[in-house]
Amino acid sequence: MSEADFKELKKGGMMRQAEAGHFSVRLHVVGGRLATPQLRAIREAADRFGRREIHLTSRQGVEIPHVPQDALAALKEFLAPSGVGVGVCGPTVRTVTACQGCRVCPSGVIDSPELAKAVDRELYGKPVPHKFKVGISGCVNNCMKAEENDAGIKGWIEPRWEAPACTFCGVCQAVCPTKAIATSEDGRALIVDPTPCIGCGDCITSCPTGSMREKIRGYRVFAGGKFGRRPSLGRRILGVLEKKEEAMAAILTVLDFFREHGKPRERFGDTLQRTGFPALETFVKERTGLP
Amino acid sequence: MTTTLLDITGDVCPMTFVKVKMGLQRVPPLGTLAVRLKEEALKNVISSLKTEGHRVTNVSREEGIFLLEVTKGG
Repeated sequence: MSEADFKELKKGGMMRQAEAGHFSVRLHVVGGRLATPQLRAIREAADRFGRREIHLTSRQGVEIPHVPQDALAALKEFLAPSGVGVGVCGPTVRTVTACQGCRVCPSGVIDSPELAKAVDRELYGKPVPHKFKVGISGCVNNCMKAEENDAGIKGWIEPRWEAPACTFCGVCQAVCPTKAIATSEDGRALIVDPTPCIGCGDCITSCPTGSMREKIRGYRVFAGGKFGRRPSLGRRILGVLEKKEEAMAAILTVLDFFREHGKPRERFGDTLQRTGFPALETFVKERTGLP
Repeated sequence: MTTTLLDITGDVCPMTFVKVKMGLQRVPPLGTLAVRLKEEALKNVISSLKTEGHRVTNVSREEGIFLLEVTKGG
């Protein structure tokens, strides 16, 4: 088999192993979620075509290693009826990772798996200048590490202070982990500074009088994160977005920016080092009208 | 009605909440429990109290220690 053939197989999620003639087959998993019939099919496939082993990848993926080259087509065919597709590799939009989200996790602010499905439907496997990873955390606890992804989303609660019932007890200021809440100069109001605010909602949860309330329960977008050999953290762009559709529009437009400004084999974080984050933010705001 | 004082300044989560919960068991409905606690325990204690239907009716602070007056839910 030629190098070109190996490259073609890799694009389709079949990666050449150290052991000659064998491949590790990457499967298509969205948001770390598989139905039990799919799991049974994967187990059966590993028994039949591999060596009774499954590898759980660092990004919620599943791979079946030790598959002989001549069994690749049969493996793919075997899995297809259960709805398990093969994965992707190379310069494409990769597995969308997600936490359990608000339907399962008590801390969840957004429905991360649903958003992951939507992003996957629109973008999975689409060509880009270099690999592109999307990760979705349902809340500020950030289990999916939004800042480590080329594009990350985090569930976010923006607080709003309402005067009437407030007794200025100081609890919200004491519990705020970033000291984003201050008392006004005349001592008659509380001011929430959006810059240090991390959207945790602790001030709302703790407020004894209900004076701290949710202004927006929504989505925060991060861009330009990566790990690998030269890690860098993504930075947040745009304001707090209120709707799932807005978060989707933001991700799609971030990707447009990468396609227009990224160079082949250049990670998005490096593209942003060249262009600057403000260029991305201006681009996304102009194209989407998002705040 | 007398107010019982509970000092949990020497406790950490989850004992802070456990002690508050036990303290409230000794208070009649709509009775008051005063709780002395450190800043670190505020968030979890207050959010748990609210979830369980109790109300924090007053908050004061002295030398970094908070004093909560908790009215037991009916």
